Amino acid sequence: STLPAVAEELLREIKKAFQETSQVPDDLLLGLKFIFGPTAVPALDLVDQRSVTRVRSPSGRILYQVLGSSGKLYTCYSSCHFCTCPAFGFSVLQKSESLLCKHILAVYLSQALGACQELAVSEEQLTNILLAEEEDEG
Amino acid sequence: LCRGGLAERLCRLQNRERSAISFWRHQCLSDDKIPSDKSSVLIVRILEIVEECTIQVAICQQLDQSPATLSPEDAVINAEEPILKVLFTRETAAHLKSRPQDVIHIYPPWQKLLLQNADVPVIMNTYFSQKVLCSEHSEAREKTYGLTKMLIRKNIISLAQTFRLDDVDDKLHQESSDNQVPCAPQTHNNGDSKRHPSALSAVNDSLLEMVESQGAVGWREVQVQVIIQRVYCLPAREGYRSHTQGNKPLCAAPVTNSDPPNVRLCLLVQDAYGMFSEVQLQSLSSTDDIEQYCRRWEGKSCCLAGMKILQRTTRGRALGLFSLIDSLWPPVVPVKVPGQSQDSEMMTTNLPPPSFCYILTVQSGEIHVEVDEEEQISNLYQPPAVHGLKEILWTDGCNKRCSFWAQVLYQRLQTKHSVPTDQREMLLFVTDSTLQNVVHGIPKVVAVSVTASCVLSMEIMEALSAGSRLVFFKDALWGNGRIICVERTVLLLQKPLLCSAAGADLSELTGPVRLDELDSTTQASSVCALRGTVVGVNESTAFSWPTCNRCGNGKLEVCPQDRELLYCNQCSEVVTTPVLKMQLEVFLSCPSRSQGTVKVKVWHEITLFVLLTRLLFLQTYEVQSVLGKEVGLLNCYIHSITSHPNCVVLEEIVLL
Repeated sequence: STLPAVAEELLREIKKAFQETSQVPDDLLLGLKFIFGPTAVPALDLVDQRSVTRVRSPSGRILYQVLGSSGKLYTCYSSCHFCTCPAFGFSVLQKSESLLCKHILAVYLSQALGACQELAVSEEQLTNILLAEEEDEG
Repeated sequence: LCRGGLAERLCRLQNRERSAISFWRHQCLSDDKIPSDKSSVLIVRILEIVEECTIQVAICQQLDQSPATLSPEDAVINAEEPILKVLFTRETAAHLKSRPQDVIHIYPPWQKLLLQNADVPVIMNTYFSQKVLCSEHSEAREKTYGLTKMLIRKNIISLAQTFRLDDVDDKLHQESSDNQVPCAPQTHNNGDSKRHPSALSAVNDSLLEMVESQGAVGWREVQVQVIIQRVYCLPAREGYRSHTQGNKPLCAAPVTNSDPPNVRLCLLVQDAYGMFSEVQLQSLSSTDDIEQYCRRWEGKSCCLAGMKILQRTTRGRALGLFSLIDSLWPPVVPVKVPGQSQDSEMMTTNLPPPSFCYILTVQSGEIHVEVDEEEQISNLYQPPAVHGLKEILWTDGCNKRCSFWAQVLYQRLQTKHSVPTDQREMLLFVTDSTLQNVVHGIPKVVAVSVTASCVLSMEIMEALSAGSRLVFFKDALWGNGRIICVERTVLLLQKPLLCSAAGADLSELTGPVRLDELDSTTQASSVCALRGTVVGVNESTAFSWPTCNRCGNGKLEVCPQDRELLYCNQCSEVVTTPVLKMQLEVFLSCPSRSQGTVKVKVWHEITLFVLLTRLLFLQTYEVQSVLGKEVGLLNCYIHSITSHPNCVVLEEIVLL
């Protein structure tokens, strides 16, 4: 498949450009729009609002929590593309229409732009976050 | 969308692009001629099409010139021609209806992307594409397009295929750092002496600029000069407030009694542009320093460096913070306007109050806050405006911050045994000369509620228990007829050096404190004075019972080991000096409460070693001896008041 490699390269270019000039050039922003379609602007908005937190436990486990626009907190995994939001379930999983949901894209963009908030928690707290999501689904 | 943010910028770019695309397409339809600039037109022949997440990936051969000039016999795939992967969005693909062997002209501005581990370049931004038809085959091909579309293979992307944004070098570097790993690679040595301003870059005076440059190279060295408007403590849970929106708090573990006080020292700072920010500093080991910090730091300027943004909060989400900001608005000196030159300043009369505020915190490790204590108080500083209680009670409005200097007469802890100590609420009954000297219309004593979120120093707690004290209430909240102390309210034992008295009479109280007498307007949870004549005693409801002197538990048990001793389950200890509580219903005729007699339920505490001589009749239970006796003037705390039946439940109290 081609698209993931393209998306990855685009995000790397954004990271590089931002580190060198502390700005994101217009053409890369438009590239985001081209590849990710309607997800791009909402994801950037989440980054503007500093909604992404990288949660880390002492053993090195990482997950991401994104504060959605409705005030709900979504959990995104770091080892595979997964998000607890309904859009992910529909557009990515069911219809395979999108590569990512806006929350996962916001996680990548926050990484690239150094806009992640950091939170260190205990193992137990991390477990609670992950398992709490399961309770919600059920 | 955030003003000036990336999302807003992309929206603008996208709108422009969309206009350009529809204009271009319209032009192509109406005008067969290919637009003149041929030099950057990409000509490709599609070999194979695959669909990935609605994007069409066309593997193409790049052609030197349009095949319209070649004969059909020449249309053979030449292995020498370079291969490209051209991406089309769903919309462009629908417009083109392309299939293998089609020739597409792609007009600028297209973008080329070179992937790391692949030789085939990728072409993006292909909105301006046009299919070139070889006229002989056109009709037949159009008819069979629908079939072709169904045959385009759809690639399902694996979820396990994540994106790696770091290079190998970066990753190693990050793993060798401490627990709290920043997202941007650390290219600066934290050992650099940040305490010497000369070693750092020029001092900035805009908080907004500092915040917006976060993550950029060198932002850690950027210093911002601000003035400290307020110093206060917040319970540590507030530090995670940004993540308690929605259903669950991030940190589920409650604060236990044995932990050291979980409070963080915070500053409310303001920059030269009038913008506010709350800076959360380190956890305090002892809350006793808060008064010192207030004295030494409020009004002084300080330099912030290497701050981390915890949250960008808005008025709707942080009412407490914004009520404090509103009390400091408008600024007392003109503030700068962003974007204009240094010299031009703006009058502050018409500036709207801020609608957002950044909450910053220090990076782990060094504290990057330097307060210049020797310097003079800044002109921008607004000390708390002190008012008399009378004036405050007569103020209109809701959720306004107010400061006052008052004598605390009585303290009541609202302890419920199920609630942990750190979530205690407290009622303080206060007065000042403005209330004491008035005859009618306002109460003589006011109840101030202190919630658990208001951090009290040990000094204050001890002082309040020890005796009547004059306390300075800084930035309490007034609204709905009540004064409450919430987070960001500070109680101090000394009046601050600088405070605008606003004409309030801050003189000490002369003479004994007077409470309002019990009357028809008395409410529950208040204090009042009581006097009357005993006209009857309800003997059938009189009883007494021992309670634990430590926790107040009324259900003591007899010790199994020694039946003479009492045992408290809640404390798990023997109670050696139980407090005897008595309940008695007495009918008083009170001159101040004129509807017939008042049935007064007296809850009385007597320890076995102290006898109260005022209510003599409780010692003897001899009704005859007390009828007609005058009672009063007693100070009481009202538990409840009902008018039907006309009953007041109260408890005699001792004022501080």
